[in-house]
Amino acid sequence: MAEISNPEFPYSLTISIPLPTNRLASSALRAIEVDTELSPFVRRSMALTTPDTPSKSLEATVKEEEKTVLEATYRATTNRMLRVAVNGFMESLGVVLGVMEELDVDVLEAEVQN
Amino acid sequence: MIAIGLESSANKVGVGIILHPDNGDTPQVLANVRHTYVAPPGEGFLPKDTARHHRYWVVKLVKKALQEARVSVKDVDCICYTKGPGMGAPLQSAAITARMLSLLWSKELVGVNHCVGHIEMGRAVTGALNPVVLYVSGGNTQVIAYSSQRYRIFGETLDMAVGNCLDRFARTLRISNDPAPGYNIEQLAKKGKRLVDLPYTVKGMDISMSGILAAIDSLAVSYGLDREAKEGEGDDVPTLDAEGNPNPTRADLCFSLQETVYSMLVEITERAMAHVGSKQVLIVGGVGCNERLQEMMGIMARDRGGSVFATDERYCIDNGIMIAQAGLLAYKAGFRTPLSESTCTQRFRTDDVFVGWRD
Repeated sequence: MAEISNPEFPYSLTISIPLPTNRLASSALRAIEVDTELSPFVRRSMALTTPDTPSKSLEATVKEEEKTVLEATYRATTNRMLRVAVNGFMESLGVVLGVMEELDVDVLEAEVQN
Repeated sequence: MIAIGLESSANKVGVGIILHPDNGDTPQVLANVRHTYVAPPGEGFLPKDTARHHRYWVVKLVKKALQEARVSVKDVDCICYTKGPGMGAPLQSAAITARMLSLLWSKELVGVNHCVGHIEMGRAVTGALNPVVLYVSGGNTQVIAYSSQRYRIFGETLDMAVGNCLDRFARTLRISNDPAPGYNIEQLAKKGKRLVDLPYTVKGMDISMSGILAAIDSLAVSYGLDREAKEGEGDDVPTLDAEGNPNPTRADLCFSLQETVYSMLVEITERAMAHVGSKQVLIVGGVGCNERLQEMMGIMARDRGGSVFATDERYCIDNGIMIAQAGLLAYKAGFRTPLSESTCTQRFRTDDVFVGWRD
């Protein structure tokens, strides 16, 4: 799904993660983006968008709270590097989702009350 | 004030919650939970498997720590995590968790140097005010003394950490890694009686381990000991050589390795004590749990009219509470790690940290 094909990074994959709120999607993006890609053969970009709309076609008038989808695009020089990079993203995402599910403010408060 | 600390630089993932009372009383450990990734005998822990283990455990451990400490999100002042040094992917498991917590809970982050964490927890637990610190673990071997807002490295290993040397030898002998290879070497060494000739490699204030490891590995191979101890065969029952004389046993080799490397550590620690004029030694890091090392260091310290301070396995072995402790000290001194800088790094020198919380 590479809109502008980059001949140097011909292999690409875009992953869209729908989340319940903009707060969660934005936190996930900000937490994951801190770690830079280790390999010079991989390029990554992340953005927030609304459901069913790829970020590149997002209108400027869309409100922030409606952007609940985390979109990550990976481009790599080889299929293997793409696979490795995307696997890494999924592993980090797993931890991020675990924190949301088990350790968010409302989750912990509800458990205390029970 | 209360801080939560996350640690995952090697094969242990730990979460700790510490309380610094407002009236300046001694810090209190509210929670200190940990899980260790144990590799099969004969193998070491590799980054990919270790990171997978940590990713599985880290959220569960944070939850458990919060429950044990009976602390809620609003009670927590800051979130501390190990910035480095350590192994890349394992470190990242705690870092990304810390970042996510920071964003969801709206709390500030403090990146902590792992070595400084060990030092500050050792100081807090033992009450040693200004000791020479011997930091010995699977990943680090440094002799440290504090001076002018830095933990200065006086001596260190030139190649591998002493714990790494012990762990690698444990692999040669196919010793179990549960609970830790060094612990099992220590137990085996207690049955050893014969001191085998090994290189003794102190280089001024520093030490080198690679030659000793090569020597002892080759001895183990030459006596046929580089395999699991067979059933019914004691670790301390010798085989015989061509003339019918007993060969060194697995226990003898473990004993010899410990005696040699620990003597070297005592020597470079003593050198630092003489240089600095200190009478106190604080041993921190996983190898600091070793009772023989503590005994040998104690003999040297008492000869100089001083004493040795050490902690038990709750704090010697990598843990989250030491990160919370060092982190909260830094936080109170005004230190913050902005989200964009909350990376982790495999190399992070102990003396790179500005110790603003001490005079």
